[in-house]
Parts: sequence; C-alpha cells; structure tokens
Amino acid sequence: MRRARALLAPLLPWAVPLLLVLAWEASARIGWLSSRILPEPWAVATAAWELVRSGELWAHLKVSLWRAAAGFGIGAGFGLLLGLLNGSSRRAATLLDTTLQMIRNIPALALIPLVILWFGIDEAAKLFLLAVGVFFPVYLNTFHGIRAVDAGLVEMARSYGLRGWALYRDVILPGALPSILVGVRFSLGLVWVLLIVAETISAQAGIGYMTMNAREFLQTDVVLVGILLYALLGKAADIFAVVLERHFLRWNQAYL
Amino acid sequence: MHVNRIEATRVSEAANESPRGAHLVLRGLGKQYAGRSVLERIDLKIKPGEFVAVVGRSGCGKSTLLRAIAGLEQPDSGQVKIGGGGAKPEVRMMFQDARLLPWKTVLDNVALGLPDGKERARAALDSVGLLARAGEWPAVLSGGQRQRVALARALVHQPQLLLLDEPLGALDALTRIEMQQLIESLWIARGFTAVLVTHDVQEAVVLADRILLIENGRLALDLPVGLARPRERGSANFGAIEKQVLEHVLDMHHTLSAA
Repeated sequence: MRRARALLAPLLPWAVPLLLVLAWEASARIGWLSSRILPEPWAVATAAWELVRSGELWAHLKVSLWRAAAGFGIGAGFGLLLGLLNGSSRRAATLLDTTLQMIRNIPALALIPLVILWFGIDEAAKLFLLAVGVFFPVYLNTFHGIRAVDAGLVEMARSYGLRGWALYRDVILPGALPSILVGVRFSLGLVWVLLIVAETISAQAGIGYMTMNAREFLQTDVVLVGILLYALLGKAADIFAVVLERHFLRWNQAYL
Repeated sequence: MHVNRIEATRVSEAANESPRGAHLVLRGLGKQYAGRSVLERIDLKIKPGEFVAVVGRSGCGKSTLLRAIAGLEQPDSGQVKIGGGGAKPEVRMMFQDARLLPWKTVLDNVALGLPDGKERARAALDSVGLLARAGEWPAVLSGGQRQRVALARALVHQPQLLLLDEPLGALDALTRIEMQQLIESLWIARGFTAVLVTHDVQEAVVLADRILLIENGRLALDLPVGLARPRERGSANFGAIEKQVLEHVLDMHHTLSAA
C-alpha cells in the first residue's frame, strides 16, 4: 500500500490535467461541446497525426523555427554587443543609453504598421519585429550584468596583471554571465509570442499561418494543434535556456 | 599541512641582505578623502625580509596605507619606493576576502595571470596543503581554505613584497592560528618582506618583527618585537608586548575622547 503510494506521488500533479482532458472528451462525446467551439481531444490528436503524416506540420515547423532562430540571433546579438559596449564604457553609455531607453518604451507590436510600410509583408518585416522585441531584454540584462561585476574581483585581477581582453574573458564576461543568461531566457520566451503575432498578420508558411488558415476553413482541431505546438515550443525554448544556465553557471551553487 | 620550519636565528641573519625580499621606503605619504586627511606624512623604512604588522582601530587609515603601497590608491603627496634584487620587484596583495574567481577551478585561480604556470600553481597549492582540491570550485571550500588558495595565488609569483590586508579577519580562532603558522613558515622559507594589516594585536605579536600603530593617519608607535620564533602565546614576554601595544591603543582613545 505504502509502496503504491510512493509510486503514485510523482504522478499526482498530472491528475487534474488528466481529469480535465477526460471531462473534455466525455462532454464532447455526449454532445455538450460543439466541435465548432472545441473539438474533442481525440480529434485534435488525429489532426496532429494527419499533419505529421502529410509532412505539412514539419514544413510549417521548419519555417517557424528558422524565423525564431534568425530573429533571436539578430536581436540577441545586437543586444549583447550594445550591452557589452555600454556596460564597459561610460562614454558609450552616456551617448547611447538614453536613446535606447526611449525606443524601449515603444512596444514592438506598435511598430507593426510602420514595419509593414517599410518592409511590406515580407520575411524581413517579421525578422525585424522579432529582433526588436528580443533586443531589449538581452541588452538591459547584459548592461546591468557588466555594471554589477564585483569591483573587488576586477581590482584583484588587475593587480595580477590582467588587462584588456584577458580581463574581459576571465573576469568581466563570466561575472556578467548569470545576468546575461536571464536576458536570454526571457528573450527565448518572448520570441514565440512575437512570432505568433508576426505569423498571424501575414505569412505564407509557418505555424501561425497554418493556424490562421485552418480558422478560415473552420478546422478547429488544426487550430488547437497550432496552439498546443506553440506551448510545446515555448517550453522547449525554456528547457534550452535552463540547459545553457546549467552548463555555463555550473560553478554557481544556485544553478546546480 | 606542510610546514617547513627553519631555525629562526638563521633566517633573521639571512633576511638582512636577502635578495628575496624587497625593501620598502615611504616618504611623507599623505592621502585625503573628500577633504578629510586619512594619512598624514607617513615616513617609514622596512628592511628586506622584515615582517611588519600595522595595527590600529578601524578607520585609522591602515588599509589605505597598504593600498597605497600596493599601488591600488594614488597618494596625494609623498612617495612609495619599493626596491629589490630584480629590476621590477614583484609585489602581491592578499585581501580581506579571498577574492577567488568563482567560475575558475582552484588550480586555475592560483594560475591566474600565468599562461603556462599550471605546474608552478600545483607546487604553490601543495605548499598550502590544498593540492588535493585543485580541481574543485571555490564555492565548495571553507573560508580558511579559500584564504589558503589566495595565499598560494600570491606565492606562485615569488613575491618579494607580500601585502596582507586583514586576510584572517573573517576566520574562526582555530583556523586563524593555523593560518598564522602557515604564513610564518612560508615567510621563513621564502624570505619575502611582509606587511600585515590587522586589528588583532595578538596576531601582530605572533607574526611581526616590528609593530606599527597608526592613529588618525599618523604613525603613533614603532615597536620592535624581539621574541624568538616560533612564539608562544602564553609566555610572559609575549603578554608584556601585547599589553604594551593594547595600552597604547586604548590610551590614544582616552586622550581623543577627552579632547
């Protein structure tokens, strides 16, 4: 009896979701829920399987993944570079930080009309939106991380003859890394949110496109597959960020 | 812990003209913070291989003095001269906190600033008895062990002048005594000049050839300690010197509060 309880304990958090899915399935079968509003879980699973089999899902997924990666790469790359620059140089910070803070206060999504005017509804428009959104969390956290590096450690390293790049590599960058990774983790979550919006506005491929297209044809089951896929991708991105933290911050007891 | 004790007499003889220790001269050293004078015209000569302890109440300027010698602070007046056998004397500082880089292993911390100094770093770690912990992160070490790693990091550079800024202040009493013995034995074996800032008068009497007392930025006492090493805390002579320094510290305090 006690043994059975010990086995069941880790499953307990999943009891409520499981019950909900069962209730959902049951009410759909009895006819309480119209499949126009919410298709039964089984139908969603079948739809997902169909999309996988036809290769359609993979094609859309590939496009979305590429967009997320490219947008994140550009935005986070610039965020890191400017964060490092402004964190290390007072002069650069005086010159640039106020401007960047002003731009930061504009929500990325408010730029959509302007972005469409500039880039049309092209791939570049989507990448621009993603990059702008991802830029700020990485920039802010890098900037703060560099500024917050223990001055005692920097003084010690200088007194041991570390200068320039060596000082940067051995002391400043690793000292700022916990903060930089917070920015990266936040951005990895944000990139999916922005991607959904960008792909919903206008696209010829991608999960957002697949979902919007399915809505036109009232394929509620495919819409749900798309939504669940976003949830899974977001979770995957977060796990990726945790793996990064575990690897780069393994010296830090807080991340073990 | 490996302790290489050498006859104390032989060492003090050798220390007088040892090329392994740098001599240190301060002339009219002064430093101000926001108009308040922290150090006032400090004149001081320290012989090669001498172990000097600087004591005083907190805020008296003893740490500033050490940082000025290390070149971490620019004095407002006067000068610091450090001379030794070599062209540019090697000066190393041990801080109050160990200041180990948490993202580098113990060995890499000791080898900091030495691109191919892994072997020498191992030897230095061995001399403080921590070779077995070479591959670990600093976070898993105790406070005393961290300070031993910091000591090894300083020693790997073969310093001619070692500056110690209350490095044992945060350690428990037993670990502190152990560290004092370790520092003394390494000083005897290597013959560097040492300047130790401490608020612990007993520590100063255990380790120093000479005790300097700083009050309000001025040198208030310069007392030679003629006890043979290793010193016994319980002995009458030891107690007499400790009492003398303590009374001086307290005396100064009385005159100040009366004024």
